[in-house]
Amino acid sequence: MPPLSILLWLPFVCGLLGALASAVLARGGRTNAEASAGDASAASGRGAWGAPGVVALVGSLVALGLAIAYIADYKSGGAALQHVTDTVWISTLGIHYKLAVTGLNVFLLGLTTLLFAVATLAANLRSWERPRLFYFHFMLAESAVLGAFLAQDLALFVSFFDLMLIPFYFLIGGWGREPGRIKATIKLVIYTLVGSLLMLAAAIATGVLASQQGGGHITFVLSALHALPLSSGSQEWIFLFFAAAFLVKMPAFPLHGWMPDGYRAMPIEVLMVFSGVLSKVGAYGFLAIVLPLFPQAAVHFQTLMLLIALASILYGSAQAFSQTDARLIAGYSSVAQLGFITLGIFSLNSQGAQGALLQMVNHGLVVAPLLFIVGLLAKRTGGSEDVRQMGGLAFRAPVLASLFLVVALATLAIPGSSNFVGEFLILLGVFKAKLAIAIIAFSGVVLASVYALRLFIRAMHNRVGPSADSHEISILDGAVLAPLIAVIVFLALYPQLALHRSERSVKAAVASVQASTVPAQTVARVISGPRVVHRSATFADSVRTP
Amino acid sequence: MLRSYLPAIVFLVLGGAVGGAFAVLNSVIGPRRATPHKQDPYECGLPSEVKRGMRFGISFYLIAMLFILFDIEVVFLYPIAVELRAYGSYALTETIVFIVLLFVAFGYVWRRGALEWR
Amino acid sequence: MIPLATAHLKGPHIDFAGLSPLIALLGGSVLVLIVGLLGSRWIRAQAVPSLSLGALGAALGLTIWQWNAQKSIVSGALRIDDLALVLNLVLIAGAACTVLLAWRSLAAREAAHGEFHALLLSSVAGMSLLAAAQNTVALFVGLELLSIPLYVLCATELKREHSLESGLKYLIVGSVGSATLLYGLAMIYGATGTTDFAGIASALSNGSLATDPLTLTGVALCVAGLCFKSSIAPFHQWTPDVYEGAPTPVTAFMAVTTKVAAFGVFLRFFDVALIDTQVSWGPALAVLATITILVGNVGALGQSSLKRMLAYSSVAQAGYMLAGVVVSTQLGVRATVFYLAAYLFMNMAAFAVIVARERQTDLGDSIGALAGLGRERPLLAWPMTISMLALAGIPATAGFMGKFYLIDAAVSGGYTWLGVAIVVGSMISLGYYLPVIAAMWMREAPAATSPNDASVLAPTPGPLPALAGGSSELDEDGGPLSGSQPEVLVVAVLAGAATIFFGVIPQPLFDLVHGAGSGLGLF
Repeated sequence: MPPLSILLWLPFVCGLLGALASAVLARGGRTNAEASAGDASAASGRGAWGAPGVVALVGSLVALGLAIAYIADYKSGGAALQHVTDTVWISTLGIHYKLAVTGLNVFLLGLTTLLFAVATLAANLRSWERPRLFYFHFMLAESAVLGAFLAQDLALFVSFFDLMLIPFYFLIGGWGREPGRIKATIKLVIYTLVGSLLMLAAAIATGVLASQQGGGHITFVLSALHALPLSSGSQEWIFLFFAAAFLVKMPAFPLHGWMPDGYRAMPIEVLMVFSGVLSKVGAYGFLAIVLPLFPQAAVHFQTLMLLIALASILYGSAQAFSQTDARLIAGYSSVAQLGFITLGIFSLNSQGAQGALLQMVNHGLVVAPLLFIVGLLAKRTGGSEDVRQMGGLAFRAPVLASLFLVVALATLAIPGSSNFVGEFLILLGVFKAKLAIAIIAFSGVVLASVYALRLFIRAMHNRVGPSADSHEISILDGAVLAPLIAVIVFLALYPQLALHRSERSVKAAVASVQASTVPAQTVARVISGPRVVHRSATFADSVRTP
Repeated sequence: MLRSYLPAIVFLVLGGAVGGAFAVLNSVIGPRRATPHKQDPYECGLPSEVKRGMRFGISFYLIAMLFILFDIEVVFLYPIAVELRAYGSYALTETIVFIVLLFVAFGYVWRRGALEWR
Repeated sequence: MIPLATAHLKGPHIDFAGLSPLIALLGGSVLVLIVGLLGSRWIRAQAVPSLSLGALGAALGLTIWQWNAQKSIVSGALRIDDLALVLNLVLIAGAACTVLLAWRSLAAREAAHGEFHALLLSSVAGMSLLAAAQNTVALFVGLELLSIPLYVLCATELKREHSLESGLKYLIVGSVGSATLLYGLAMIYGATGTTDFAGIASALSNGSLATDPLTLTGVALCVAGLCFKSSIAPFHQWTPDVYEGAPTPVTAFMAVTTKVAAFGVFLRFFDVALIDTQVSWGPALAVLATITILVGNVGALGQSSLKRMLAYSSVAQAGYMLAGVVVSTQLGVRATVFYLAAYLFMNMAAFAVIVARERQTDLGDSIGALAGLGRERPLLAWPMTISMLALAGIPATAGFMGKFYLIDAAVSGGYTWLGVAIVVGSMISLGYYLPVIAAMWMREAPAATSPNDASVLAPTPGPLPALAGGSSELDEDGGPLSGSQPEVLVVAVLAGAATIFFGVIPQPLFDLVHGAGSGLGLF
């Protein structure tokens, strides 16, 4: 396999190359170098399928291929890091450039590259102002997100986590929709960066305090930090800082203030990846960083986190079926779905965590096509994304309607879908942890079917909307949706693919939490004993899809 | 340590008290008879011919400042001249550098026209 | 008459090698002054800046020649060690950028070029002296040599009221600061009986002198004096006005290099001479740092003048760097010096863009002058973007590494809350750095002020439009200097590139500052 750095930096390099190459091409023959920059960008890539877009598409497709290869090559035997790249980045600070594939991130890599490839394709279907800059930022975003997933060093993770916001800042601010584009951008960035800067302080404190306790040189490598547990007092405030960053990113209920404006302002292609991928980084951070490094704090704040998750589910669902803007329906449904994922992670057992991981992939897979369809619907209603303007669109667009139906059913986690498996596992985990919360969370499942079906029915059926002018989905638009739907169907048929590969890593992540609560003697058995293996085998059987 | 500052403090206090007392007494018990002559800048001189708003030409200040600068710097040359032999060539070099710098300054002032009367 | 001559007096031993960078700067200053008197306008406008760059280059070469030297020179008044040499590098780089920015500026022309550059070089010499000072007398001489030329430089745009006001204000406030510091130094001398840093340290280390009221008053006055100079709250009020009024190249110079010199003194004087009173001044400085971070960042919010915004931002950055002084560890010294170097790149990029825009538009340094820059002049927009992101502490920039290092030092030194304060400050700072980026990339350029349209500016009778205190600069013919200004562009691009480079590959810079921490005898 090629080293992970290629997967990581390939999109960025393609974005850069596309921009530079087309800049050089466009500049030929011009004399006034600086003044031409503005005109050139206007002239060169006005139409769709300009050079920067095509180069970006190629890059994102190659990245997707690489990610699929990593999934296929993943050895599910243990929780060990695979395809490790480890060099010292900054020796003074003990920061390593350490990348690895684990059971936790391998599917998220696939999700990220898939959504970016699809979104790049979608972006190529229309023309952008300043396309070089647009694709440069778009590809930079992909590299940053991949970096956050791949990083096995806390400081590196924090760097990528902060960095991925910058391209989105430009993408939304530069190509977003009026009104309120700049306001929404600044709101979004300040919300999320406030969280991630707190995380920066907490991450540095983790490294410093751990090295002071360990008495060695400062280090930020996750595996080394894992071996140097912090005192529970430090763990608690550090946990809260990390949680702030991740909960904002998700977003979870009380910290979602940036979401409505942000969702309204984003171009739909950007929103696809933003909603599909970026929210997962937060959830992934909980699973890969917080649980292993701050297990005592995770136990300490378990109830708080579960309550936040529950509030997100209820609030998100309630908003999702009272909103009329189709984007916001998708947005608030994300809040609810991410609530489920948080719920699973903080059940603090392997079923819940594994369900959460599966659900991360599932949510990304359904929310991206959902948003793309919203964009398609808007083209059929004169640009409005209000569900009251839609209606009756299915009559002239049966293929679109059926694709939409698949997505909507997956969103509401119909039995047989992969989402169902995910939610089932999550609820199973929560049942074991906190019964009362699990019972309330069940209502979220019901609410999901209400809002998903409401959106579908109001858009596709009912009376024909006032400005609706339906027509069938074009082949290119279909090409955007097809891979996503295919993967949804594939995972519905075969969720074991994801579950099997992630199982060991998830257990390892959760084991450290259990180790901090259970007396030492039983820990050994929980981690390696036959009892657990047996139980997991039965539960894996139980979710084999009908 | 602080004890050595005692004389200074006594001096300050006494000086302030005596000075302040004279000023206060003067204004309290002194007679006040304002006549036009009393209001003149120079009570005992000839009547002033200059109007109050007149400004002094800025060139006076410039020349005066330059004079003070060069005058003071030349003063430094005297002790060296007395003890030049004792320090030998080191002092000579230092002096020459000093004088050269002085000439640079002089040349600068000259070229910039600060010596011309405007 | 006693023949004194018989007593064989010898001149003191002088290590000219150690002094050579200083001599290069001062010699350059004199030379530039003379050349400025000569000949034609061309010689003045081109030869003088070239010569002053040459002097800086010589000083740079001599500094590198002295690399790895560890010695006290001039009877222990100055110390040439890694800290002094690294700070020298930063100072010289900052001054060289200033020379380039001022090449075509109105300020340099009105000061007949020679004077402007002579003042600049002697100010750098003062800073260099300050960075190496080993006793309180050298400290004060250095400080005055730094300050007095700066007072004049601020007022070099003679025909602009704001410039004069800026110079006068700086003179008065700076004098108060100097006087306060001098008074504090005198008290410390009174308490310890020595002016030597090492002597002060050893006097304070034995006995109860460290808690003596006289000492503590002296320390407090020194803190206040230095805070005036490095614009630390609550002694920062002069900063926005002076920065805004001064000619922009001078503002850039002040913002970067005076900070370097002032923090050099902080490190040397507080972390060496006064280390035994650290229990007294440490918490006080930590509180001042927190106040500074808050005041600077909150003050910068909503400023429409970029120079004012950067002035408040520099106040906030001083607060961050103070954290490195407070912890009094080797790590703290390194982090401070690292941040100073990063600070040079970040600020020079921003100021270079402001200089360029002041000459291209009639909007001065208002944020409106940047509107639509991303489309029109990407080569200017990128450095500004990088600079703003770096100042805000975004990863892959030198600013992020600097903050990382400072927080690391603060947490290691037991001041975790100070690390959190730095982070909170960065959050607030997003509120004023991001709108600048938004203006460049997300707003359209105002139609009325298309930068290449000479007719907009050429017939400007009477006083120049001085929106938001900015200085519109006209070239010799009276038309707008909208044409190429390659040297400003070079500064902007190089500083921006360095900001990114040291954000991605910071190890060379870490290695550079590594020795700076070891020389002071801290843990």
